[in-house]
Amino acid sequence: MSRPLRGQPADGAAHGPPGRHRAPRRDRVPRLRRAVAAVAVVAGTVALFAPSSDPAGPATTTAEPPAAVERTVLAGVDEQYLTSPEAARPVRVRLPSIGVDSTLVDLDVDGAGVLVPPTDFASAGWYSGGPAPGEVGPSVIAGHVDSYRGPAVFFRLGELAPGDDVLVDRADGTTVRFTVSGTERHPKDDFPTEEVYGPTALPVLRLITCGGEFDRDLRSYRDNVVVTTRLVG
Amino acid sequence: MRRLVRAAGVVALVAAGSVGGGTAQAADTNGLLRLAHLSPDTPAVDVYVDAVADPDAGITLEGVSYGAVSDYQDVPVGSYTVSMRQAGASPDTPPVLSTTVEVTGDTARTVAGVGLFADLGLAIIDDSLQTPPADQSRVRILAGASNAETIDVGIAGGPSVATGLAFADTSEYVDVPAGSTSLTVAAEGQAPAELPVDLAAGSVYSLVVLDADQGLRVEPVLDAAGAAVVPVGGVETGAGGTADTGPSASLVVLAAGSAAAVVAAGTRFRRRPGRHATHRP
Repeated sequence: MSRPLRGQPADGAAHGPPGRHRAPRRDRVPRLRRAVAAVAVVAGTVALFAPSSDPAGPATTTAEPPAAVERTVLAGVDEQYLTSPEAARPVRVRLPSIGVDSTLVDLDVDGAGVLVPPTDFASAGWYSGGPAPGEVGPSVIAGHVDSYRGPAVFFRLGELAPGDDVLVDRADGTTVRFTVSGTERHPKDDFPTEEVYGPTALPVLRLITCGGEFDRDLRSYRDNVVVTTRLVG
Repeated sequence: MRRLVRAAGVVALVAAGSVGGGTAQAADTNGLLRLAHLSPDTPAVDVYVDAVADPDAGITLEGVSYGAVSDYQDVPVGSYTVSMRQAGASPDTPPVLSTTVEVTGDTARTVAGVGLFADLGLAIIDDSLQTPPADQSRVRILAGASNAETIDVGIAGGPSVATGLAFADTSEYVDVPAGSTSLTVAAEGQAPAELPVDLAAGSVYSLVVLDADQGLRVEPVLDAAGAAVVPVGGVETGAGGTADTGPSASLVVLAAGSAAAVVAAGTRFRRRPGRHATHRP
């Protein structure tokens, strides 16, 4: 986690002319607060810079956050050059609220670039050309709504409600948990590719199946149902 | 941060209303915000992020030091005050710096402390969430090295990424070939440096140029990741075996005239939510 600070003058805070944006003079950092932030990174940087002898100067704005009652404190934010930590490949998806527990096969695109659904109607599949669930980016799991004879693995996907759990078990024995944030239906001939596969800054998992009217001539449902989830942990 | 509730209403609308089309939009209830410390001679800071509309909740990022780029924070849309205090300073003290940033739906922004301490500013930078062309990545430069008044950045086999980019500035995004490649960073008046970078197709990066003990260093930060290969169109995930009686979305088929068919099909494909093909041996 902690890395040595490079290229930073050790006395960087202790010289130079007073500027408009100078920090208010703080000869002593409150001990209690420092003790609470018991993280190596914080301790290291504070040790370097706490005894600042900066001249006092006015703050640039007067905006002052109100006394925080309920703050999320993220300690030790150091140099996090997160170039997408890789997650193990997903092997199983579980949707407890609709009774789904399915192994996952890897999915790929065909020669025309179209995503090939699982051959097994009873099994969902993970699109392996995208991120793995839990990695930054839009991971996709697709499953059939029905077979030729009856319901298939994602028959009840449309019943998922916001907040429902989506659990993905991974090859390394870990489980990553998402919760449903919303469900949309889109005509296949107007599929929102950018929205579904475009870059995201957080780990996202989407579950896709078919919906809408079944076109008997094309033997195809007109729509795709897309359930979007967000990472919980 | 804890309010994801509004999505529920939209989903209800979608379920009830959308017939065969209409791109039902997800509720734009959240956006993304992250913080960066790019001021070489500024001590570590604690960064406070407070929603103007909801003063009872906030985020504190403690001990953010030079070169750090935080994770994105997923926050409800609205105005936020971002304030920096010296690391460990009491929240009651006036901040060194603060600014207001607007978080809008489905967007990402970086608030960065930039420049030298004597002239410290907070820059609000828009981050890209757009898909690069096939087999390409999207990159830009955050110039955080005071050792270089201006820099030129290029990528082997690719276009120029930045030309004459001044310290404390941010370049526009440029699409470049994905893969393991080499970045050339030339500071004004110094010999250019080659740095290996590994860029995933479909992903978006900020390349952060920082002061090193001697010269410069470059840290790639992932802004957003997309599918390396973007599939074309939708996916065929249904064979129609429940089409007449089947998923709720297709109830519209139950119009007059197909009653006979429905009766016939209904005897074969009984729809019984709760025991569908979900528990295979």
